[in-house]
Amino acid sequence: MKKWIPWLISLVLLTWVISRMLPQKPVTGFDVAGFGQLPVLVGGRVMPMDTLARISLSIMNHHGTFTVDGRTQPASRWLLDVLMMPRRADAAKVFEVTNPDILALFGQQDFSGKPISYSYNDCVAVLSEIGRQASSATQTEAQGRNAFQRGILKLRDALRIYLLLKNSIQAEDSPDFGRELQVFEQVLQPGMQAVRDREANRPFNQQDLLVVARFTQRYQTLTKARYVYALPNPDGKTDSDRWLHISDALLSAVATGKVAYPAILYGGLISTYRSDNVTGFNQILHGYNQYLQGTMPEQLSRAKVEYWFNQAQPFLQAMVLYVFVLLVSLISWLKWPRTLGKTAIILLGFAFVLHTLGLLIRMYLQGRPPVTNLYSSALFVGWGSVLLCLFLERFYKNGIGSVCGSTIGFVTLLIAHNLQLDGDSLEMLRAVLDTNVWLATHVVVVTLGYSSVGLAGLLGIIYILRGILTSSFGAATAASLSRMIYGVICFATLCSFVGTILGGIWADQSWGRFWGWDPKENGALLIVLWNAAILHARWGGLIRERGLAVMSVFGNIVVSLSWFGVNMLGVGLHSYGFMDQAFGTLMAFIAGQLVIMGLGLIPQRYWRGIRTRAAKVPGKPATASVPLTAT
Amino acid sequence: MINNWVKPLTSLKLTVFCLGCAMILVFLGTLDQVNIGVYEAENRYFKSFFLYFTLPGTTLRLPWFPSGYLVGGLLLVNLIAAHLARFKFTWKKAGIMVLHSGVILLLLGQLFTSLFQVESQMRLDQGETKNYSLSYYHDELALIDTSGSDSDRVISIPDSQLYKGHKIVLPVDSLEVGIDEYFINSALLRPDQLPSSNNPHLQIGPMAVSVQTERTYKENERNMPTAAVSVWQSGRHVGSWNLAAGFPRPARFRVGEKSFQIVLRPKRFYKPFAIQLVQFSHDRYAGTDIPRNFSSRVRLVDSSRHEDRETLIYMNHPLRYQGLTFYQSGFENNDKTTILQVVQNPSWLIPYVSCALIAFGMLLQFGMHLISFIKRRVIS
Repeated sequence: MKKWIPWLISLVLLTWVISRMLPQKPVTGFDVAGFGQLPVLVGGRVMPMDTLARISLSIMNHHGTFTVDGRTQPASRWLLDVLMMPRRADAAKVFEVTNPDILALFGQQDFSGKPISYSYNDCVAVLSEIGRQASSATQTEAQGRNAFQRGILKLRDALRIYLLLKNSIQAEDSPDFGRELQVFEQVLQPGMQAVRDREANRPFNQQDLLVVARFTQRYQTLTKARYVYALPNPDGKTDSDRWLHISDALLSAVATGKVAYPAILYGGLISTYRSDNVTGFNQILHGYNQYLQGTMPEQLSRAKVEYWFNQAQPFLQAMVLYVFVLLVSLISWLKWPRTLGKTAIILLGFAFVLHTLGLLIRMYLQGRPPVTNLYSSALFVGWGSVLLCLFLERFYKNGIGSVCGSTIGFVTLLIAHNLQLDGDSLEMLRAVLDTNVWLATHVVVVTLGYSSVGLAGLLGIIYILRGILTSSFGAATAASLSRMIYGVICFATLCSFVGTILGGIWADQSWGRFWGWDPKENGALLIVLWNAAILHARWGGLIRERGLAVMSVFGNIVVSLSWFGVNMLGVGLHSYGFMDQAFGTLMAFIAGQLVIMGLGLIPQRYWRGIRTRAAKVPGKPATASVPLTAT
Repeated sequence: MINNWVKPLTSLKLTVFCLGCAMILVFLGTLDQVNIGVYEAENRYFKSFFLYFTLPGTTLRLPWFPSGYLVGGLLLVNLIAAHLARFKFTWKKAGIMVLHSGVILLLLGQLFTSLFQVESQMRLDQGETKNYSLSYYHDELALIDTSGSDSDRVISIPDSQLYKGHKIVLPVDSLEVGIDEYFINSALLRPDQLPSSNNPHLQIGPMAVSVQTERTYKENERNMPTAAVSVWQSGRHVGSWNLAAGFPRPARFRVGEKSFQIVLRPKRFYKPFAIQLVQFSHDRYAGTDIPRNFSSRVRLVDSSRHEDRETLIYMNHPLRYQGLTFYQSGFENNDKTTILQVVQNPSWLIPYVSCALIAFGMLLQFGMHLISFIKRRVIS
């Protein structure tokens, strides 16, 4: 009877998680979801409006969500306002400021430590001061900037992007852009006739010429706002012609005599949105969808997948599940080991499936191997560790694999979540990275090396903490933990070594040297050296179980330095993943690991686990509250 | 007796000790790059035997930590000694043997690379042809005998010989060059920009002075030396000139029938063939400044081998010719100038071989571990 309990618990949780991923029921009113799926070209790649909204918001408020009166609204809703009704968007409080000195610019005296959000309207009064401070901040080198300077530059960039966004599909000062385009189209033919007449030295209509010239001048100014290329141009010959900024589309109308169809559609969307004409808006949106379906179906469907991916957030769901798995498997060490242990494995497996699904969708969207930037490396490190843990659990069936897998899965996804706030996580790759062969081999293998070193480190932590703090630390448990660490370290050595060498070969291919002592290369080398040191120390009898555990914890420090630390140095050829904060977090992490290593060095006669073991009747094998070896 | 000496060299303790030292070294060498740049850090931490520190207040340099050559060398000796003394070949240890022979090869390969690799840069404007590349770090004082009818004769004095008070005897016409003053780094200014006349400086022509500046270690900056040199023939003063690498216009003089030029310039590496830039292309992602691809279409002309062909150099696809490799490294001048990295590394293939050996060895060894582990699990 008990057999089905784990499945029942899992089923309930899974249903809940899946229900969170399903598309929400369409609400009546403007089809915000439909708008959020529209493809646009930004930063060199086609993305749905929804992604643009999220990225822009995270540049402005660092968390990428839009809240009105404390309630979260779809990010696309905010973007809809910015693009179509800037005046309303100007009042939305989306610029978040944390630095007290910058708050002082806004006249904020008493600072409680909580960030304050301002609207664009609030910023208008201090715009020139922000600009002045920012341009003097740029004169300091990026390394030497203080918190105020970094903050003011971020704010300046956010404001700049906001202004660009407002002029993405219309001129923001246009009272009715749909109407403006109609007028433009009407004056276009007579105006061009006047141009031709004048060139042929015939009498021409001065008024017609003047009107067209004024429009041209207006759209010429608008070219300065190129950022979002929202208008598809299916006839474009090159990549950079296939999507146009509104200004380019309208200027090319002067040559062809006809305003492009997508521009008219956007004009219609703007007019209907402003006049609160829900049916009209939704109809035009539907028509635009059909147009895209006919002209660029592949990009449309990719944008729709990405929209779904944004909504479903498989990584977030996996994160929630990892927390459950951790709780369940920790409890399983104390109570109902079989039932809860089984539940933990089923849930871990499902979280892994979600994690994998997320990675696969990202690979589909980007057309690349899984790891292309720091963000995706975090996703993949977690994925690799969880996979290893599932293997460990399969062989040892003692709950350790579940605990480790869920912990690393959760932590890495949390890291990824924080890194995502820096901008587009599916950004285009710089020239040197534009090679799927090396991304698929070197980067993947090195990242698996990070995964396994991290896993060995966590196993080491469990060894030390369980030994010192708990009574469930029989000789068998200790031995099996130690075997796990050893096996994982062997795997880590293989991955980090092969991965590093592959990186050397890539460097030889692209920079002309196999090894250049670049910080990232050195970081990888440190991992290899440390793994080799652990293995040789063990083979040479310099360390045993405990030494192995302590040394593997130090591996965590080495990995954290190599993974993130070198990016903080800001030198070298690999520094495209630069991050200037998070330094404190890294230091805290390292300090924590050192404390645990220190604990591990306490003489074993003081370890609770060892004392309990000694207290057991001699001759009887040590037993723990959990069956710790496979039977 | 010999055993007493050899035994410690074969021990695993020594291995672990060396690995530990290597880690400390790599860590310090990485951190210091913030201050002294990659090139200098490489020389100090990895291409040397010891790390030194200077006693404050003196010029005394004391070694305080073993560095690259020593640690790497010790590791190499340890590996070889261990294999010779302890390892007997068995199939169970085949993986370990293969993998360690790979490591030995890798270490040797890196030693050869650091000894023999020469890196330089070739900058080409559109349509320009060059048969030499320039060192990024080093300069030379070149004395050019231009009296030959069809070719010049160049005598190059490396910058390691250029320091104040040094006299260099040249192998031609009993000429001697004396270095009266030498700034490792300098900046060219208009005479009226000189901050004060106390600043060490040299007049370079009527319109410019060269002012001594701090030596730079920055990645994107180069040291630009300036020198005051005198030329002597058999003790007779021929002439004195101030030469700046930032303004490499040669000074001319005559000795007897022969005419000479003398110039301070980035060190040149001449090739037996020439490269011409046909077209540089720089693609960006639509609507951004993010580079998508750089490529240089170049023409390779080697008259001695009767070669004259066009080829494309782009990211991750270098041109390999006559032991030299040309990589797309950068561009400037509004996409009209390409910068090619030119590398001569006779041992470039070694890492490929050693990496195959190591990967194979590890797979074999750990694979055997894994299989026996799973077998035991299944049986129990």
